[in-house]
Amino acid sequence: MLNATTMTRYLRLIRILLGVSLQNETAYRFDFLTKVAGSLLNVCGELFTLWAIFANARSLAGWGPYEVVVLLGVFRVMVGLVGMVIAPNMRAVMEDVRSGGLDHVLVKPVSAQFYASFRNWVLFRGLDGLMGAVMIIVGCTLLSARVSLATLALFAITIAAGAVIIYSFWLILATTTFWFTRIANIEMVFWNVFHAGRYPLEVYQPWVRWLLTFILPLAFLTTFPAQALVGRAGLATLLTSLTVAPAMFLLATAFWHFGLRRYSGASA
Amino acid sequence: MKPLLRALAAFFRADMATMLQYRGESVLWAVWGIVYPAVAMAMWQAAANDPADGSRVGAFGRGGFAAYFLLSMIVGHLTTAWSAYEMGYFVRHGTYSTWLLQPLLPIWRSAAGNVAWKLFTTVILAPLWLFVALWARPHFDLDALHVVAGVASVLLAMAIAFVWDYIVALAAFWTTRTDAIGELWFGGMLLFGGRLAPVELLPGPLYYLSYALPHQWSLGFPTEVLIGHASPERITSGLLWQALWLVGGLALFRFGWRVSIKRYSAVGA
Repeated sequence: MLNATTMTRYLRLIRILLGVSLQNETAYRFDFLTKVAGSLLNVCGELFTLWAIFANARSLAGWGPYEVVVLLGVFRVMVGLVGMVIAPNMRAVMEDVRSGGLDHVLVKPVSAQFYASFRNWVLFRGLDGLMGAVMIIVGCTLLSARVSLATLALFAITIAAGAVIIYSFWLILATTTFWFTRIANIEMVFWNVFHAGRYPLEVYQPWVRWLLTFILPLAFLTTFPAQALVGRAGLATLLTSLTVAPAMFLLATAFWHFGLRRYSGASA
Repeated sequence: MKPLLRALAAFFRADMATMLQYRGESVLWAVWGIVYPAVAMAMWQAAANDPADGSRVGAFGRGGFAAYFLLSMIVGHLTTAWSAYEMGYFVRHGTYSTWLLQPLLPIWRSAAGNVAWKLFTTVILAPLWLFVALWARPHFDLDALHVVAGVASVLLAMAIAFVWDYIVALAAFWTTRTDAIGELWFGGMLLFGGRLAPVELLPGPLYYLSYALPHQWSLGFPTEVLIGHASPERITSGLLWQALWLVGGLALFRFGWRVSIKRYSAVGA
C-alpha cells in the first residue's frame, strides 16, 4: 500500500495544501499579529508562573527549574502541533459531519483519513513550536545537560509517540460526531484538561497520574519526552511509548472507519 | 427605581431560560473553574512536600494550600465576569446597537445575566466543591471575624470584578475585537489575582505589580480572609483597598462610558 510513488504523491499533496493554507492566512494579517502577541503572552505567563513557584520551592516533585523549562518547551511544541494542523482539521471534520460537507472529502481520490487530517494548516501556529524548541534548548543549556545521542534518540521517539497519540486522541473525539452530531465545546474541554500537562506528572496524586496516563494520555505528550531529554526516562518509558502510540493510532483509524459507515451524507 | 427592577427581573428570567436550554454549554464554562484551581492545588502541594522546608511553602502547608485553592475555586466562580470577552462580538454583530436604543444602560443587562449564570451554575457546582473539600482535606483557621469580613469581601469582590471587567470591555468601542484584551485581563487574574498562587508568594516585582491592579481584590484577598489566613490588619487594609477599587472603578466606568459611547459606530445595523 505504502510504496514510493504513493508516498511522493501524498507528500506533494501536503505541499500543495500547505501553500493554499498560507495564501488564506496572509489575507488576515491583523488577526495574525494579535495571535502572535497572544502566544508570546502565554509563554511569558508560563515563565512568570515558574518564577513564582521556584521563588518559593527548590523542586517540584523532584523536578528542578530548568527541567521544568524543558517540560514547558515540550508543552509549547505540542500546543503548536495541535494548533497548526490537528485542531483545525478535526474542527473541520466535526463541522463537515454536521453539515454534510464531508462528501467533498470522501469523493477525493486519496485516503479520506489522510485528506481529512491534513487539508487545513494554520501555519503561524508553527511559531509556538519554534518558541517551544527555544525553551527546550535553553533549558538543556542551563542544565549543562548530559544530552547524549542516546537521550536525543529517546527524546525523538517519545515526542513522536506523543504527536501520534494526541492526533489519535483528537481523531477519536472528532469521530464521535458521527453519533452525536453536535458535541458542544468539546475543544474547550480538551484545552482545559491539556493545561494539566504543564506540570510534571509526579505532581499529581497516584490515581490522577494513572488517569492522565491511561485514560487521557497527557503523560505521553509532555512529561515523557521531557523526562527523556533531561535523562530521567528509562526503558519502561520507551517501551510504553512504543506500544501505546501505534495502538492508539490503529484504534483511532479503526474507529474512524467504523464511524464513516454511519455517515449518511449531505441532505440525506 | 421600579422600572429598573422590573427590567432586571425580566433579563434574569430570560437568561435563566436560555441557560436551561443550553445546559451543556453553561456547565462546561463552569467546570473550567474546577480544573484550574485543582491543578494549581496539586502543584503547590507537591512543592510543599519537601521535609527540609518543614513541608511548607511560606506560611502554607498541604492543608493550607488545599483550603486556599478550594476557596479560590468558589470565590473565583462567584466573581467571574466575561464582558471583556463577549463585548467585541456584540459590537461586531450589531447586537449592541439594539441595546443602546433601550431606555436602560446595557451594563444592567450584563449584570442580570451575570447573576443568573452564577445562581444556575452554583447549584451544579456545589456538590463538586463538596467533593473536592472532602478529598483535599483543607485546613481552615476560622473565627467569626473572618467569616463576616470574608462574606463582605466576597460581595465587594464580585462588584469589583464585574465593574473592572466592563471597563476593559469598553475597549471594544475602539477596536471591535476584544478577544486578545479579554485574554490578557484573564491572564492577569491567574497571575496577579491569586488563582495561580497566593499573592504573598509572588516574587518581589510581581507582588508589587499585584497592588497596582484590581485583580487580587476580586479574588486573592477574599480567599485569604475566608480560609482564616489574613491577619486583622490585612483584613482592615484589604477591605479599605476593595472599597477604593470599587469606587474608583465606578467613577472610571462613568467617565469611560461617556467617552466611549461617542466612539461607538454601529456595525452591521
